Amino acid sequence: MCLAAFAGSVGCRLFEPASSTTDSAAPLLPGQSTGVFTTARPTLAGALNDFFGRRPIADQPLEFPHNVHVGKQIMCTEYCHESVTKGPVAGLPSVSTCMICHAAIATDRPRIQQLAALSEKGLDLQWARVYGYATEARVKFNHAPHIRAKVECATCHGDVGEQTVAQRNVDLNMGFCVNCHNANNASVDCLACHF
Amino acid sequence: MAADLDRCTGCGACVVACHAENNISTVGAGQAAIGRAKHWLRVERYWEGDFPNVGLKFVPVMCQQCDNAPCEPVCPTYASHHTEDGLNAQVYNRCIGTRYCANACPYNVRFFDFFNPSWEKPLQLQLNPDVSLREVGVMEKCTFCVQRIRGTQIQAKAEDREVRDGEIQPACVQSCGARALVFGDLADPESEVSRLSRSPRGSKLLEDLGTQPKVNYLSRQSQA
Amino acid sequence: MDRRSFIKLTAITGTSATLAGCGNPENQLIRFIPAEDIVPGVAVWKPGVCPLCRAGCGLTVRVMDADAEVVRDGQAGIVRIAAAKKLEGAPDHPVNRGGLCPRGQAAIQITYHPDRITQPLRRAGERGQGRYEAVSWDGALTEIVSRLDALEGAGNQRALAAVTQSGRGHRSALIGRFLGAYGAPGPIAYELFGDEVLRRANGLSFGRQQLPTFDLANARYVLSLGADFLGTWNSPVAQSVGYGRMRQGRPGLRGAFTQVESRMSQTGAGADEWVPVRPGTEGVLALGLANLIMAAQLHPASAAGRAGALIEGWNAGLANYAPREVERITGLAAARVERLARQLGDARPAVAMVGGPPLAHSNGLFTALAVNALNALIGAVEQPGGMFFTPQLDVATASKASGSVASPAPTIDRLAADGLSGGPATQVLLVDGANPVFTTPRAWRVREAFEKIPYIASFSSFLDETSILSDLILPDHSFLESWTEALPESGSMVAVASVAPPVMRPLHQTRATADVLLEIGRRLRRPLDLPWQTFDEMLAATFAGLPSATADVDAWTDAQAKGAWAGPLPAGLAVAGTAGASAAPGTFAFTAPLFDGNAEQYPFYFLPYPSNAFLDGSLAHLPWLQEMPDPLSSAMWSSWVEINPATAERLGIGTGDVVEVASAHGALRTAAVITPGIAPDMVAMPAGQGHRTFTRYASGRGENPVELLAPVTDAATAALAWAATRVRMSRVGPPDGRLILFAGGMREHPAGEHQR
Repeated sequence: MCLAAFAGSVGCRLFEPASSTTDSAAPLLPGQSTGVFTTARPTLAGALNDFFGRRPIADQPLEFPHNVHVGKQIMCTEYCHESVTKGPVAGLPSVSTCMICHAAIATDRPRIQQLAALSEKGLDLQWARVYGYATEARVKFNHAPHIRAKVECATCHGDVGEQTVAQRNVDLNMGFCVNCHNANNASVDCLACHF
Repeated sequence: MAADLDRCTGCGACVVACHAENNISTVGAGQAAIGRAKHWLRVERYWEGDFPNVGLKFVPVMCQQCDNAPCEPVCPTYASHHTEDGLNAQVYNRCIGTRYCANACPYNVRFFDFFNPSWEKPLQLQLNPDVSLREVGVMEKCTFCVQRIRGTQIQAKAEDREVRDGEIQPACVQSCGARALVFGDLADPESEVSRLSRSPRGSKLLEDLGTQPKVNYLSRQSQA
Repeated sequence: MDRRSFIKLTAITGTSATLAGCGNPENQLIRFIPAEDIVPGVAVWKPGVCPLCRAGCGLTVRVMDADAEVVRDGQAGIVRIAAAKKLEGAPDHPVNRGGLCPRGQAAIQITYHPDRITQPLRRAGERGQGRYEAVSWDGALTEIVSRLDALEGAGNQRALAAVTQSGRGHRSALIGRFLGAYGAPGPIAYELFGDEVLRRANGLSFGRQQLPTFDLANARYVLSLGADFLGTWNSPVAQSVGYGRMRQGRPGLRGAFTQVESRMSQTGAGADEWVPVRPGTEGVLALGLANLIMAAQLHPASAAGRAGALIEGWNAGLANYAPREVERITGLAAARVERLARQLGDARPAVAMVGGPPLAHSNGLFTALAVNALNALIGAVEQPGGMFFTPQLDVATASKASGSVASPAPTIDRLAADGLSGGPATQVLLVDGANPVFTTPRAWRVREAFEKIPYIASFSSFLDETSILSDLILPDHSFLESWTEALPESGSMVAVASVAPPVMRPLHQTRATADVLLEIGRRLRRPLDLPWQTFDEMLAATFAGLPSATADVDAWTDAQAKGAWAGPLPAGLAVAGTAGASAAPGTFAFTAPLFDGNAEQYPFYFLPYPSNAFLDGSLAHLPWLQEMPDPLSSAMWSSWVEINPATAERLGIGTGDVVEVASAHGALRTAAVITPGIAPDMVAMPAGQGHRTFTRYASGRGENPVELLAPVTDAATAALAWAATRVRMSRVGPPDGRLILFAGGMREHPAGEHQR
């Protein structure tokens, strides 16, 4: 293991720009991340969490009250997670989506003003993912066919409409998926989901 | 799949298309020099004769998706196994990197990840989100572009129809200008690939090993 | 602990050490609001045009969302963009019909290359040192405009020169118009493996100064003299599509194919019969075949018309090219010549093609004319299964670009010679998409000449051997970020104009070169009279004059959606042929090809050839192409020289050994590849490697065969005769790891070899 750590530090040097020609062309700006994308976990803590299957509690940039919006008949699949019927990803709304309504609605609330300020500066919300699979799980989940098969949102996401900030209250482990696939005669072939 | 060697020009478009589609990392000169380059699909060359009576034949070789695959029984974790639609699957989640399968494979088409692959930014923007990235310690190989197979199946189901013959095109098949590669359902006797599999020019690689490979090679025709 | 956990933990410790030491994790970056609407996870396909060669293949580009790191107002952050993910051949494009070559597949790495120049740069160190400082676009444009104004003020407009990639599209036309309006000579388009000789020959024989299109799909027999038509020559994807159909696309009918060359090319590997002849004598073989076909009265001499009349002794039946004489000159047995003639004469339709090495000799034009005459004789011209000329759109007329046209440009060697010898010296040089310092023979002294030019501005996206000499770099968008177009010279029976709007937003602070030129034109003290504000206005002007293929949609909208317009050209918009226009240039006869270096001292013919991966070297910066095994040797990341086994045995050379190859003009050391597909008196080397400066992937890797080339040119066209150098060769050492092969043995080498 010491060896591995050593290899890592050697790797670090290798990833630096190779020649003088590159650093003049593309200076690394403050705050810019390293020039290499790898499949490794970004930090030791992240790696350990992955290893033990610990998930971080989603720390949202803004306390989005799901209950209020769902209560007002704002359909999740039509407004905020509208790509859920079209493809694999449900999508997390950008500030500009919020501002479609909130340019006019409830503009006096502090949270909405926070939104407007972000929008003004061209900055987006950094939503933290609540559901979703670790990269290591290598699950290629596709929402659209599940919606077409009439699987309710609540089956996998619990009753989000009752929540304020969304919490992960369904454990989407493989057993959960396979049980449902078996019950509905859907394929449980490894290559149905993992590729 | 069928590969018509009379059409193949050896250009290598399929090799690069495979890298682009399947997030296969390049390993660099140093690692390539010690045999760690990963090409799920390669074009082999066979020289015949001596100058000036010399000939050269190209053979594209990818995972043969054997029905009786030597890589499957040797895997202690069932990472290498057969799916219901006849693919030889490599389940990365199960793989513990024994590399027994690579030793067992007579076609030399399985590749080991000796390190976490990396992409110098912003090259990673090209990565295909439909295909997993493989970490260190995992075997990887040609999947017949299973992500494209699944995508087409989902699309066909959404449109409430069967998958059409020739509709699924793995990246290599799509890239080939000379149409040397044809992909389809061998279980359907009417499909183009079934028709080609009955060609008198057809043969399979190392068939006498009993692996029952699923790629039909149509030999170069000699001029009468 | 089980094995899997162990592996995981090793990975964790190893990699986290890497990243903890090297920078901030991504999640600390702020996130910007995306500038476009994207459905995450769902691919859309947009049309594109491949920029890598003159074939002009149509692309369909897979676009999906991706998180890109960008800098906005000096602030680094992440934004979701619509990013190109994969390039595929456009299924309905009239040239490539869904196919794409390996280079086209890899072109996407240009856009995402880590060493792309991301913003305008001004030289900060000595020339060639590669030290640059960032400059704003406004500052950069002000600087170049002041340079051009100063030239104009001194009345010295002719001291502006431009070196560009060759091409016939709108971009070339725009640069030509820019230079013409300013008062400078036209752009200098130099290509190492250019086809100027063949274009000239086709102009003389058929009145069409362009590359031919072959109807391979309908051919019964193809005789190719040196043309690597399935690999790198002319329109390789279009030709591969036709080849596939010729071989197995017609039930019960398989077209035959013979390749004549002295080093087996990737194309030669597909041939039913591979015929080596002495370099530079291919024209004699062509006339030998014509002689026999006429003698057998399969076709009359008069059938060749004007193409035949250009050959000395044609109407007398080419008595000088009887089989015995052909054998003496080409080294090919007379009986075999007779058999080839029967094959060619009997099969209908049949076609001959010539390209590449046979035309890269001092007698290149003669060879091309000889093959043209042969084609005319066998009735292959403008006939199904034969050769055609794709109708060409007249860009100047179509885009309504009236005004002064630039005067003809000097050649690049002339420009260099003038600059070094006190002739008319260039004061300002513009470089667009060309790297002549890398691709010209040393004897032309292009580098020294450029170093003496007071001011060089480059539009390059990368620092290469030429752009590193520049004082100002105005980086272009990548082809996926800008309007792209091509007017394919060949590969289609009907006229084609490919066009595509930008596929994605620019990743960096770059600007489209065509638009930059237009802006410079407007900013000059005496603004240039250019009728367009932007490049797409120029394109729109052209397409406005074309008939639409779809009802209710104009041609411009239709072409953008499809990525191409194709069809018959309206009267007045086609480039007219030059039939009968030029005065008769006399007749041509075989002259022995000249070789630089005498045969005793330099016993081997030296053949540099365009690499399947890198062409002339302009693609050596793409890692996919570096790691793609070469079709014939399986080499990756390497340079090598190909040697016949008998020669290798005589000189004691084994595969991988380091050998020195030397001509009268230079020497290099590279690895040996022993291969039966080459004549014993010849050695061959792929071009493309040997870059001093060309990104992290290509710099300092391998050797450049151009370093050895003698400045021999084709007598009639002054094109470089790149196959006319002789070399000597000797072994200097055992394998040292510089040759990396994918084939051979177990892939993972035994532990002992790891420590080499």
